[in-house]
Amino acid sequence: MLGLFAAALIGFGTVFFIAGTLGLLRFPDIFCRLHALTKADGLGLALIALGVALMAGTWAEVLRIALIWFFVALASATSGHLIAAHARQTMQEVGGADD
Amino acid sequence: MPRTQSPATNAAKPAEPRANLVTVPADRPSAPARWRRFLAVAAVLALIWAALTGFRADALAFGVPAVLAGAALVFAMPPSPGWRLSPRGLLAFVLWFAVQSVKGAVDVALRAAAPRMRLRPGFRTYPLALPQGAPQVMFLNTITLLPGTLSAEIAGDQVIVHMLDTSADLKADLGALEARIKALFALN
Repeated sequence: MLGLFAAALIGFGTVFFIAGTLGLLRFPDIFCRLHALTKADGLGLALIALGVALMAGTWAEVLRIALIWFFVALASATSGHLIAAHARQTMQEVGGADD
Repeated sequence: MPRTQSPATNAAKPAEPRANLVTVPADRPSAPARWRRFLAVAAVLALIWAALTGFRADALAFGVPAVLAGAALVFAMPPSPGWRLSPRGLLAFVLWFAVQSVKGAVDVALRAAAPRMRLRPGFRTYPLALPQGAPQVMFLNTITLLPGTLSAEIAGDQVIVHMLDTSADLKADLGALEARIKALFALN
């Protein structure tokens, strides 16, 4: 029963990863693509981590999975911001589109 | 992390690449405050070490020096304003954060999968009102998880937000987020 629930969580997580990739491929510019990667993949990882944590044998494993989720979430938000800021700055240097 | 820069910076002009990362401490924390922070960091690092080694006692020969050395960096780093969390605010924030990240991900996934993507992307600015340091960093990082918004750049005392749909009510969404972060950090 628990295994089934964990498998469902991991399955949903995979769906969000696919949706994030779809957004990466289909969205028109770098900023919209960052939305897809930071949000959809972020939830995808959270669901997969939750599913794997349910199957974990020890508390240390659960803590390790939680740490992985935490640092990836932090890095994803921070690097999304840095990539967007860099894109804005370089776009304006070459007189590119703004707004 | 985001810090002060000259208020003359124009929102339309990009900020200096690294100017927003300069730390400008307002007031130096006292020595006891630094020791409290040392203990807090040591506790967190010890928990991480325990998780990584699976609570093995013989790994402590490396763990204790590593944790102490890591926590001692508190004294080497430039001082930053302290902060504390409110337990009730934390619980409310975690639940709200979980719901919002699901909403944000479902929203962007539906847009990505729709045959005609409903996108009206653009930039909007929002004034940064939260105190600098942890509350402001939390604010900027959480913007990116809310449905349809991405913190794109800091220009002076404003954050430039990229929106998937510029017809959404940015002021209401970010105002609600600010209120929750105030509750989280027990501000006012």
